[in-house]
Amino acid sequence: MKGCLDYQFSRRAMLGSTAATLMGFSIRDLLAATGRDHKPTAEHVIFFWNGGGMTHLDTWDPKPGRPTQGEFEPIDTSVPGMQIGEIFPEFARQMHNVALVRSIAGTQGAHGRATYQVQTSYSQSANLIHPGFGSVVVHEKDQLGDLPAYVTISGQAPRASYLGQKCAAYFVGSPGDKDPYLAFPEGITSVRGNKRLETLARFNSRFAGKTTSEELGATRTSVDEAVRLMRSPALKAFELDHIPLTQFERYGDTPFGRGCMVAKQLVETGVRFVQINRGGFDTHSNNFEAMRNHGEIMDPALGSLIGDLSESGLLEKTLVVMLSEFGRTPKINKDAGRDHYPAVFSCFMAGGGIKGGQVIGSSDEDGYQPKDRPVKIPDLHATLCHALGIDPDKEVMTPLQRPMKLVDNGSPVLELFG
Amino acid sequence: MKTRWIRLCLGAALAAGLTTGAQAAELTASEAGGADLSATLNKENAELKIEVKPVDLVDDMAYLRRVSVDLIGRIPSHGEIQEYMAWAPAERRSKIVDKLMADPRFVDRWTTFFSDMLRLRSNSPGGAAAQAFVHQALQDDMPYDELAKRFISANGKAGAVPEVAFVLGDNADPMALAGATAQIFMGLRISCAQCHDHPFDKWTREDFYGFAAYFGKTRRYENDFTNTVYTQEVAASSVLWPPQGDAPDSERKPVDPQFLVGLIEASAKPQFIARLDKKRKTEAELAEAALAATEKADSIDDLLLDAADTALKASKGRGKSSFDIAAEVKKDRESIDLTAAMNKASKSRTALADLIASPRNRYFARSFVNRVWADLIGRGFVEPIDDFSESNTPTHPQTLDFVADEFVASGFQFKPLIKMIVTSEPYQRGQAVGLSQLDQEELQAAFLASPARRMLSEVMYDSIITAGHLFDYKHPKGANMKTVTDRIRVAVPREGGELAAVPQDLAAASAQGAAMKARMAGQPQMRRPGYNLEAGIELDFDAVLKQAKEEASETVQVEKMVVKSSEELEAERMLTDTSNRRRFRYVYKTVERTFDDNPMFGSSFRMASPANPEHFIRIFGQTDRTQVGVPRDHAPSMRQALMMLNGKMTHEASRVGPFEPMHKLLSAKQPKLDQAVELAYLEILTRKPQAEEVELAKSIVNDGESVLEGMADLRWVLLNSNEFRYLP
Repeated sequence: MKGCLDYQFSRRAMLGSTAATLMGFSIRDLLAATGRDHKPTAEHVIFFWNGGGMTHLDTWDPKPGRPTQGEFEPIDTSVPGMQIGEIFPEFARQMHNVALVRSIAGTQGAHGRATYQVQTSYSQSANLIHPGFGSVVVHEKDQLGDLPAYVTISGQAPRASYLGQKCAAYFVGSPGDKDPYLAFPEGITSVRGNKRLETLARFNSRFAGKTTSEELGATRTSVDEAVRLMRSPALKAFELDHIPLTQFERYGDTPFGRGCMVAKQLVETGVRFVQINRGGFDTHSNNFEAMRNHGEIMDPALGSLIGDLSESGLLEKTLVVMLSEFGRTPKINKDAGRDHYPAVFSCFMAGGGIKGGQVIGSSDEDGYQPKDRPVKIPDLHATLCHALGIDPDKEVMTPLQRPMKLVDNGSPVLELFG
Repeated sequence: MKTRWIRLCLGAALAAGLTTGAQAAELTASEAGGADLSATLNKENAELKIEVKPVDLVDDMAYLRRVSVDLIGRIPSHGEIQEYMAWAPAERRSKIVDKLMADPRFVDRWTTFFSDMLRLRSNSPGGAAAQAFVHQALQDDMPYDELAKRFISANGKAGAVPEVAFVLGDNADPMALAGATAQIFMGLRISCAQCHDHPFDKWTREDFYGFAAYFGKTRRYENDFTNTVYTQEVAASSVLWPPQGDAPDSERKPVDPQFLVGLIEASAKPQFIARLDKKRKTEAELAEAALAATEKADSIDDLLLDAADTALKASKGRGKSSFDIAAEVKKDRESIDLTAAMNKASKSRTALADLIASPRNRYFARSFVNRVWADLIGRGFVEPIDDFSESNTPTHPQTLDFVADEFVASGFQFKPLIKMIVTSEPYQRGQAVGLSQLDQEELQAAFLASPARRMLSEVMYDSIITAGHLFDYKHPKGANMKTVTDRIRVAVPREGGELAAVPQDLAAASAQGAAMKARMAGQPQMRRPGYNLEAGIELDFDAVLKQAKEEASETVQVEKMVVKSSEELEAERMLTDTSNRRRFRYVYKTVERTFDDNPMFGSSFRMASPANPEHFIRIFGQTDRTQVGVPRDHAPSMRQALMMLNGKMTHEASRVGPFEPMHKLLSAKQPKLDQAVELAYLEILTRKPQAEEVELAKSIVNDGESVLEGMADLRWVLLNSNEFRYLP
């Protein structure tokens, strides 16, 4: 079963997808011939989205002794010679599992356009909305188990657009809280709820002869799927009731920490793509105070997540990546802030075939420009595709029958895979 | 409401509405009705040699359900059914159409139609004001050509000039606007020709650039610090030929605007244009008479007097000298000019608007009536509805032209168009049940059978509320007390000890400041356990428009932009921020609270739209309105099922409240089950149950823990059933 193009199609969707598949096959055959198909190294993705534009200089790309250094000192990590900002002491212990990319060369300096590009690989255009990367993944990878293949936590994921509503993310507002839509309403016992469902099925089959709608079958399937999910033991993966308090403390007992704990459980249960959203990185003033706060919240959660995934072995097939729309100006402004800076910035990746303990590319001595190995935004998407065994150049059809590649002309950063 | 429209035409200077009721009636009289439309279609079908037998018209109850859903966006209440059925059968259908078109909900429902069509978004710059503007325009019967012209030509500040939201919808990008404008207002898809000659149509890249040139001088400006967005006309066009990359920049020259399609020649005077001219002439005469009858009209002197008055009032208590007042008057006067310059409609887009919305441009009226027709009938003469081309011609060109021409002749009046369609035979046809798919398709293509239609998401939402008596409280105060455990954020000073509790309320956190809050009439209800993806935030259209008017006459905004540098403003903002941040930090605490969870919902047509992606309305098909021509997806999905099976709204609609008529029937000593079942069917499905349905329903009711609980089960099933969401 396909992750999100699963059960029924409307006639319109069918037209679109048939063409896409035909096109997809021909392209895929072509690519197989050129030898770009390979065995995937990752099955799941945990995608951290830091909204606002996280400073690269105070996190993954410190510049000690330079005028652009700022208030933080770099600290040593579990990998000799690899240093990161002082606000990540716990995460530093996991650096042997983590690769840093320090030469991302962005082009967009406004939040909206940069977010769009980093999340979709495409430049924003007026005529077409491109799907977010999570939607691409669940479009291409089978759903595993009962849970939705794509979950977004504490914020919205980009749209699925022409990949269809079924490739859209399942939304979890407050991680750890019970989702009321996954159980019968308050006061309705399961006996009574199930009886209602049986009666509903009877009523619907009686009605079948009174309409010419072609979607009655799909309605039935949608109810069946919903009920299957409601009854699934896998739902526990959304909850944290059973987790001992010490675990909460390890992760920092913050919404972000709880998001990481839920993400880990979801991946364990088979969810393909988990996006964890967090904002507040637009540090035009008081950058250092803000980043210290962010560090306090993020560091224990990230350190524990990578550590736990590594210990359980799940890190081997789970790619963890943290991205933001751009970096921040090396020059510190008069408000002790840093402004938007897309020319060069950094990210980390871990697991899912990524070789830890290495740094890809670098920025110049003050962090103004990429010094070597510049990585374009679509290259990051192509890299994730490479790990997941997805062909980034595969074409799908938009509703207006315009063929679109899954990724906007990126090449994977193969060094990341060692 | 004719009088109000004339007033609008003459501008704000004309203070009083002066036309008489009789004159107004004469103006709105529609000349052709549903019967003429049916006759035209039948004739054309005969010419097309279509000889299949049409499906019968639906019965009166089914008609009531259809027309209520289509005109006022919800199913009829029991009271409305009774009133309708009490009318003489011969007059029911026309009488109900008139009644529904006069209902305030008619304007709400069709504002959504225009918001979809014009991709208006409440949360984008000026979007809510634009929706409020459409709402007002529909209320005032503003002719469609006028409405379109305003949207195409407007310039100015987002919000203060509501119509500018259309141009801002594509960030005033000429290329995007060219594609959007042609598709929305003429049903012509030219976007492909931006990059290459159109693959399936006649449009060349040069055609596209010529059309885009109309938008070439429009610029969008944004000030992050005052949070204002506006458009203005500049001298140089940004649309250059040859396209970027095809020639060195030095060789690229501004393109002359070039319209896409030919208009009916000025020398020709088809009957429908003659009728329009006559009608408009009468309207102008009436307006003139009204003007003459006005004793006092505002002159520029009056405006200045007003300004002085304002200044005087403003200065009271602030000890201003008369000199200050004089200076303020002067400033006010300048600001009037300044605002006028900034808001001046774009010259080239005004020229474009005149061409597009001309009665001589067949594409303008055709594409619009095709859109309305498809919305009401379930299928357009041209499909997709906004793709008119030589390779995609209408199935019934004569009938389409008949509707379009009548629409033009009526003065581009919206309501007569709707009335003509919903009183015609094609609207009233039943579905071709029991036939092969091929036969169904043949009948539907000839408009001799109605296709199955699912309710719009907003209609479904409002219909559940209607059927479940949730527009008002149906339980007494205190009957639904609930205790919930919440995590709240508590601010503590950095040294220790408590300051104040701040509820961690998602809705409050996402609201855009106090100004936005003031415009939301219905505040989101108190936070419930888990998330509530059904409750909405209501927009008060009147308040939005009022604010738009205030902003338009406000000078402070413009002043600020000039006087204060962006750095200064940013510094101010930061000052307030950091003073807070340094003093305390937040910790989370678990608290219990008790509240009266008495359910009540507002209309989804009054919600900020598009809703959040996870909201009921979006899950059932409302689009995000960022792209032109994306139809609503009505395909069923698992998320829809979860929303209906487990959502609060369906659950509360099913429960029987003591204030409902149903409660009386069931709480009697001898519960009146037959009547109760009939009422449930009427309230939810707008029909009486058949004999065997009554027996089945009664057994469900009797099976419950009590008859009230059993009835809740029955109503839950009916609300969740396919029959509820698909129209008869």
